[in-house]
Amino acid sequence: MIKSVLPSEIKEYLLAFADDEHLMGQQHTEWIGIAPFLEEDMAFASIGQDELGHASMLYALILEDSSEIDAFIFNRKPEEWRSCQLVESNHRNWEEALIRHWCYDMAEDLRWELFRESSLPELVLISERALKEEKYHRQHADALVENLLTVPASQSRLTKALEEIVPEVVELFSSIPGETEAISSGLVSGKYCDVFSTWRSRVENRFGTLDSKLFTTSDHQSRTKRHSDFGPLYGRIREVFLLDPKAVW
Amino acid sequence: MSIEIAVSVQDIHAAVETVNDPEYPGISIVDLGLLENVKVNEIGEVVIELIPTFSGCPALQMIAQDVREVTEKLSGVKKVDVVWLNSPVWNVNRVTAKAEKDLAEKFIVAVQIQDRKVECPRCQSETTIKSHFGPSRCRSVHVCSGCNEIVETLRD
Repeated sequence: MIKSVLPSEIKEYLLAFADDEHLMGQQHTEWIGIAPFLEEDMAFASIGQDELGHASMLYALILEDSSEIDAFIFNRKPEEWRSCQLVESNHRNWEEALIRHWCYDMAEDLRWELFRESSLPELVLISERALKEEKYHRQHADALVENLLTVPASQSRLTKALEEIVPEVVELFSSIPGETEAISSGLVSGKYCDVFSTWRSRVENRFGTLDSKLFTTSDHQSRTKRHSDFGPLYGRIREVFLLDPKAVW
Repeated sequence: MSIEIAVSVQDIHAAVETVNDPEYPGISIVDLGLLENVKVNEIGEVVIELIPTFSGCPALQMIAQDVREVTEKLSGVKKVDVVWLNSPVWNVNRVTAKAEKDLAEKFIVAVQIQDRKVECPRCQSETTIKSHFGPSRCRSVHVCSGCNEIVETLRD
């Protein structure tokens, strides 16, 4: 398969991943300068940069001309995005941002793993690169959470944040447009929701057993609709681009 | 019979070698292991394949532009394409001994060469890793056991 002939369902499927990665990266970088301590300020900036890079590699597969990636990201209508609620939500508390980072990165490698034997050779290469970077993301998130969980006040805040965020992760794994076609064409080796149980055991190994209902509730129905936080987020991330749409960064 | 070549791969290589990493003025991108391949045909159409240290690096456009500019100045060059490859994945073992020495002496930055202990560029003592994420995405933070200083360390 070459990108010019990628079927539209496959492009939709890759777009969901690219949009998730891009918005997650943007959300992380919003902690630059305001994270509670310098080390986290820097870590979130670097991890965010990685996610933006992953998104660019995926957008390059979807678009005919990779020089159009910026315009594609910043000039799209909200209904043309395929991101999930988890990456659109405006989590302004540090504990929520940290828990989202933990939850997202504990799910991300499972998503890249599905591409390891993809029929699209470029995707195999991209996933190898991403998986290498993701190892550090998980180490970072987990080491910090592990330490914070030993402090009772932190533990209760993190647990509360986790209960808020887990239902959003349920949606991350599901409702991916084009997934059936992606599997039948060999682009991807299986359904993302089939590895949800692996993610769930990672959560419960770290945080202890949670109410089962959290793992089955999803209040967001579709990646074709945007969460109410998307508008302000999109406004913030387009701000600089709109100053000079033709600029090369 | 010899084939007339518009410009040699060696000349292009030498030109690319003059391009510095924007973050480390004086250190060539070739010594940092970014150059993967140079291709040139008989009419002077050049393709330069680079690999990024990491996919989200904000300097990619700038580096590609610098590479294009120095190559276009060579006589016999008709067209230059700079391509960022997704494979191979860059790693610190691609950094030459020369760049490693320059990073230590000019920037007080160590390099995390695989399976080798990271040495403090100031006092050569052993260091331990403090965080994988430092002041930029390709630098981790180590602490020196000798002088107790923070050691920024180039990593993949």
